[in-house]
Amino acid sequence: MYKVEAFIRVHRLEAVRDALEEVDIIGLTVSDCRGTGRQKSTAHSFRGSQYSHSFEPRARIEVLTTESQVDSAVEAIQKAANTGEVGDGKIFVTKLETVVRIRTNERGESALP
Amino acid sequence: MKLLSSFFDLKARGSQPAVKTRKPLTKGEKIRLASAVFGGKLIGLALIVGLMAIMGAFGGTTAHAGETYTPHETTFMNTANTIWTLVAAFLVFGMQAGFVMLEAGFARQKETVNVLMECIFDTCLCGFLFYGVGYAFMFSEGNGFIGLKWFFLQGTPDTYGTTGIPILAHWIFQFAFADTCSTITSGAMIGRTGFRGDILYSIGVTGFIYPIIGHWAWGPDGWLALMGSKDHFMPGLGQNFRDFAGSTVVHTIGGVVSLAGALALGPRLGRIFARDDKARGGMPAPHNLTVAAVGGFLLWFGWYGFNPGSTLSAMDMQGIGRVAANTTLAACSGGMAAMFMALWFGATKGKFDLGYSINGFLGGLVAITAPCYWVSPGGALLLGFIAGIIVWLGVNFIEWLRIDDPVGAVSVHGLCGIWGTLAIGLFACGKYGASGPTGADDSAPVAGLFYGGGPSVFIAQLIGSLVITLATFIVAFAMMKVIRLLPHPWNLRVEEKGETGPGGLDVFEHGIDAYPSQI
Repeated sequence: MYKVEAFIRVHRLEAVRDALEEVDIIGLTVSDCRGTGRQKSTAHSFRGSQYSHSFEPRARIEVLTTESQVDSAVEAIQKAANTGEVGDGKIFVTKLETVVRIRTNERGESALP
Repeated sequence: MKLLSSFFDLKARGSQPAVKTRKPLTKGEKIRLASAVFGGKLIGLALIVGLMAIMGAFGGTTAHAGETYTPHETTFMNTANTIWTLVAAFLVFGMQAGFVMLEAGFARQKETVNVLMECIFDTCLCGFLFYGVGYAFMFSEGNGFIGLKWFFLQGTPDTYGTTGIPILAHWIFQFAFADTCSTITSGAMIGRTGFRGDILYSIGVTGFIYPIIGHWAWGPDGWLALMGSKDHFMPGLGQNFRDFAGSTVVHTIGGVVSLAGALALGPRLGRIFARDDKARGGMPAPHNLTVAAVGGFLLWFGWYGFNPGSTLSAMDMQGIGRVAANTTLAACSGGMAAMFMALWFGATKGKFDLGYSINGFLGGLVAITAPCYWVSPGGALLLGFIAGIIVWLGVNFIEWLRIDDPVGAVSVHGLCGIWGTLAIGLFACGKYGASGPTGADDSAPVAGLFYGGGPSVFIAQLIGSLVITLATFIVAFAMMKVIRLLPHPWNLRVEEKGETGPGGLDVFEHGIDAYPSQI
């Protein structure tokens, strides 16, 4: 079992969700987040002052997959979130010890979405 | 005098530094305080009574009670009418706050600053243009199609026509109307209009389309305003085109320009329409319904200047009372109808939908704007109810046509404006004629089809509404298409990165989010 965690541009979220659905991954957690990396941050200005947020808005998605799904999931996210510009984000894949479904107390792969 | 001096004396004491501990008042001081308060109230009362006496004398209501007047009898400055018109103008101007809140609330968060900025800029621009050419095109004499005098407010008479209202008081009232029209237009174009494109089309709408087409219906010699009169367009019909407060002139023009803009722009990027995907299609979620609801109520409040103020006469007491009541009733039934439509049909089935209810009462208000003077309260309820249903149908139809109208401007202002204009021909109750500067002139009452008046009023309304709707659409669509062809950044539509970049349209055009992050 794997957790695939990706930081992507907010406006690519719908495309990523569609791409994941196509490889039969339906469970998905999304959160707003902000971060910084190689991308130059957008300058903001207000009433004569210019200020720059060093943190850009991004969407974070977390997906749980089985071993057989993980590659297709990563590929789907990478393709759908790609715009070719600096700042497209990153994907992290981590191995999971176990997963528990709270409602039924199922463990392991049967607890995946 | 003694009262006065004691009052000032106490006032001086009161302004001593607050650090000092307060001593209890002596008996003499208590008496002086009480007499000062009482004296102050007496003076205030005397001032109010005096003001009422003076205003009564100017207004002439007491001296002339019981007599009848022809509308053309007065040419003097009329105090009551002037104050009434100015108060109404301020209320109508307050509608800008309503528009800005409604549109911002219904928009997505990333286009909020853009919405706010467009409304503020349109208002400022409207002042310039309505001073320079707008008022001249619309309200001065020229020919049936355009006014040709009073540019930059030069060479104007003291009062507007026979209303007894100073020309500048009339100007600010009409400025507020023009501003309303120009703000409506941005409603269906939210989220993808470049700001420079907005500047260009706003100049077209506020400076030319609204005042010139408005002249046809409201100008002193407009060809629709006089079309049924002798030696004009259709003397055989015997009815002029009527639009009391602007269902057609303000709202239909605004709504139709909005539609032309939405068509020329195309939908926002990533917008999925309801008929294309049942599960995920439809209007993107609004970002602040509290602001939208308050904005809706502010608009309703401002409408009490819009409709009753359009008598331009505080001395037509029956008229302003009736108009205010009719305005309220149509709004109530419009909101109710839209709520039930949403409850019983469509995607909102089973839910009491806030967005439809707000749009519904606004639709009722738009619809009552033209007929408010001529219909009975019962008629107002009925036509407002139909307006609420039209709003529901219109919003669904526009979505079905794959037109992206984020606030429902086309349905609320365009369709309900047309309905309200036609409704005069159906619901005018045959008792009321025209409002005059010293009272109502009911010598030629207007009767619609349902009140035994025959079809002539309806035909006049149909012709006027059709002419203005089509003319506006053709001109506006051509203008929008031309601006859509300009190179960026003057193109009507913002560049793609303006919509998809970080912070969306707000950061791209205005450099800041509506709710900037504090971290």
